[in-house]
Amino acid sequence: MSAVPGRLRPRERIELGDYPVDAAWSGDGRALAIAGGEGQLLLLSPDAPAPQVIGRHAGGVLAVSWQPAGRLLASSGQDGVVQLWDARTSSATILHSGKAWSEQLAFADHGKLLALASGRTLRLFEIKAEPQGRFQVQPRDSFDDHAGAIAALAWRPKGQQIAAAGNGGVRIHRVGSPAASIDYPWRGACLTASWNADGRLLAAGMQDGSVHLWNVASGDESEIPGLGSKVFATGWSASGRFLAAAAGSVLVAWDFNRKGTDAMQPIELRAHSERLTALAFRPSGSWLVSAARDRRLLLWRVGSASEPQDAHLLIDDCTLLRFSRDGARLAVGDARGGITLYDCGP
Amino acid sequence: MTARIPVTVLTGFLGAGKTTLVNRILSENHGQRIAVIENEFGEVGVDHELVIGADEEIFETSNGCICCTVRGDLIRILGQLRKRRDRFDSVLIETTGLADPGPVAQTFFVDEELKEHYALDAIVTLVDARHIEQELRGSPIAAEQIAFADVIVLNKIDLVDAAELARIERRLRSISASAQLILSRNADVPLQRVLGLHAFDLARALAHDSAFLEAARPFEWAGLYRLAPGRHALRTGAQHHHDHDHDHDHDQDHEHAQAHDNDRAHHDGHDDHGHDHGTSLKQVDVVLLPAADTTAAAIDALLDSASALFAGEPVTAAPGALLGPGRRHRLQLAPGAQFQLDTAAPASDCWALFSEHAPEEFGLRLPGATALQQREFGSHHHDLDVGSIGLTDPRPLDPNKVNDWLSYLLQSRGADILRMKGVLNLKGEARRYVFHGVHMTFDGQLERAWSADAQRCSRLVFIGRKLDRQELEAGFESCIA
Repeated sequence: MSAVPGRLRPRERIELGDYPVDAAWSGDGRALAIAGGEGQLLLLSPDAPAPQVIGRHAGGVLAVSWQPAGRLLASSGQDGVVQLWDARTSSATILHSGKAWSEQLAFADHGKLLALASGRTLRLFEIKAEPQGRFQVQPRDSFDDHAGAIAALAWRPKGQQIAAAGNGGVRIHRVGSPAASIDYPWRGACLTASWNADGRLLAAGMQDGSVHLWNVASGDESEIPGLGSKVFATGWSASGRFLAAAAGSVLVAWDFNRKGTDAMQPIELRAHSERLTALAFRPSGSWLVSAARDRRLLLWRVGSASEPQDAHLLIDDCTLLRFSRDGARLAVGDARGGITLYDCGP
Repeated sequence: MTARIPVTVLTGFLGAGKTTLVNRILSENHGQRIAVIENEFGEVGVDHELVIGADEEIFETSNGCICCTVRGDLIRILGQLRKRRDRFDSVLIETTGLADPGPVAQTFFVDEELKEHYALDAIVTLVDARHIEQELRGSPIAAEQIAFADVIVLNKIDLVDAAELARIERRLRSISASAQLILSRNADVPLQRVLGLHAFDLARALAHDSAFLEAARPFEWAGLYRLAPGRHALRTGAQHHHDHDHDHDHDQDHEHAQAHDNDRAHHDGHDDHGHDHGTSLKQVDVVLLPAADTTAAAIDALLDSASALFAGEPVTAAPGALLGPGRRHRLQLAPGAQFQLDTAAPASDCWALFSEHAPEEFGLRLPGATALQQREFGSHHHDLDVGSIGLTDPRPLDPNKVNDWLSYLLQSRGADILRMKGVLNLKGEARRYVFHGVHMTFDGQLERAWSADAQRCSRLVFIGRKLDRQELEAGFESCIA
């Protein structure tokens, strides 16, 4: 049964027995890895009816990242451990272990580099494919002079650079060139970091309720203040035309195609009555999905309509929203301990 | 809506006994699961599953229009911890020795997510009796940790003598008028006195009408005397710095000179108690009021009137001056200065004398009369910046003026006001307005109605640095409806 155009069609809700903290789709969109707050690393795959526990982190799993078009899954936990799970052999190796939590994990798009942020230190690992299906992981660069703990990591599109954002601004590092790190200081605490499609603009959501924008190409920066509470989520539409931000019960977007005095007028997306908990742009097109404590999951066509196009009621607070890479499916985590998969119409 | 997770903040200098207390809490806590967050990787049971090491990170953020500092690492860690669903019942944050508890407390008022899921329960400060006086001299943080406390655990009391202990207690009281003070030897406090206190729960914490304000009066001492109508000498003398009682015949006038010499000889014979000498007092304010009888309750009944009089204009009294009832007299002190209490009013022969400073500080005595009741209200130490100021007034307040005044205070003096709390009597409002604040963060609400038989009265206490009583009194006065 195909999905209705312009709509989200829910499939069944899968009980995880754990709180979904993070999730990542495999490159082919067939499997979903889930980081459980109670410590389970879970895998949902089409071949298995129920979620499988493929690993554990004492205290809780913090983050998961899947190697795009590859078979390695990285996970980090409250035990201070970062491990790599090999989907082909179902075996895991410990990549890093320390007292500090590695709260941020990100594979670069080409899959050959994995970044970990542990407190103020950023570590890069290189993954080399070897004959006979083996792989080798080598530590590469390490950047440990960040002003504050790294709250968000974002690989720059089309390049070998990575942004590390935290209290005090953003630092952009170049792989293999530790001396080439560029500082973009800002007296505020960054909570998110999002690159637009062409990698010129970096947006950061701030604790004080503003969004900060850096134009890495020109060196300009600007601040969009006044969202009212901490901006916990930011995201760009696939083409880079729209930037969306969520802060408290406020959901706004900006259209970067606009010129002149209207340029930074926010597009107010008003429908949630309570604090938002998750936000995600679809990897293609201009669908934006939002969820809030009012337990509503809303679908927006940013730039086309100011009213939501679809709405679903969730069983509990939404903890995460993850689109598969092809945009065909959406994973929605809920605080009651489940994941609901939605098919996305064209 | 699930109940919020209580958070206890434990602070105190290194060596005060925090680790001992934390270990006790973890091992004795009878089924309560506690997540411990600490910065110093001490000997807290590291095999305890829920001990998390944090890299303390303080940053400034704005709470609307006021800038305040918060602990960024706590926002992240606590944000993650709550995803463990039912794995723990409460959180204990152990701060580093030299930590300022302000940012920790403010974090719970400023971050929306934390506010929803966590409730700050209490700030508990552990004090090492052996070293606190030294620590207070050495660092302003020591006084601040005490000022922020809801509970002060004065630990290692077995290592100091009774006189020192009394002195330390008074010192602590002079900093925080409202904290609960508990004595202990090896951090052996009953856990129910440090956990589950709801000190920041507006509905609960300020439920008791006057308990939290007892020590924040503008006077340090009150004595009840039986004085026949007429004139009675009030003597001030050489400054006594000793805390223990003297059983001397100071009370006979004609033997004054002799007794004084005896006194001096007696004192010379004492060992040096190693006192911290305050600055010499040049003046002291006193108020004389008729009392109903000579029971302790008679002092209670006069507290508010006396406080109100202490807020009035003082009348300078040179040695020899006549001190009548119902006025604030500013006694000019000089060696051997004597004043005359005027108890001519025929109403009763019971009188209460309220003094700004403890009698020992300026040698106050009434030759020919003995105080039948005495009460201490905490003391001021002029060498300490941090202290408490209590205000009280029975007159109803204008809510808009209160709002303006408190906003002004938060904006202009927020950094210096470490904590404030109060119960306000608002004009036209049947319910008590209760509030508390930490620096610039503020929370207030109308709670239950004033009980019909209680006298409606506003009471506030401010704990902070370099607070100006007159400035606060003037601001409060401007709120009277």
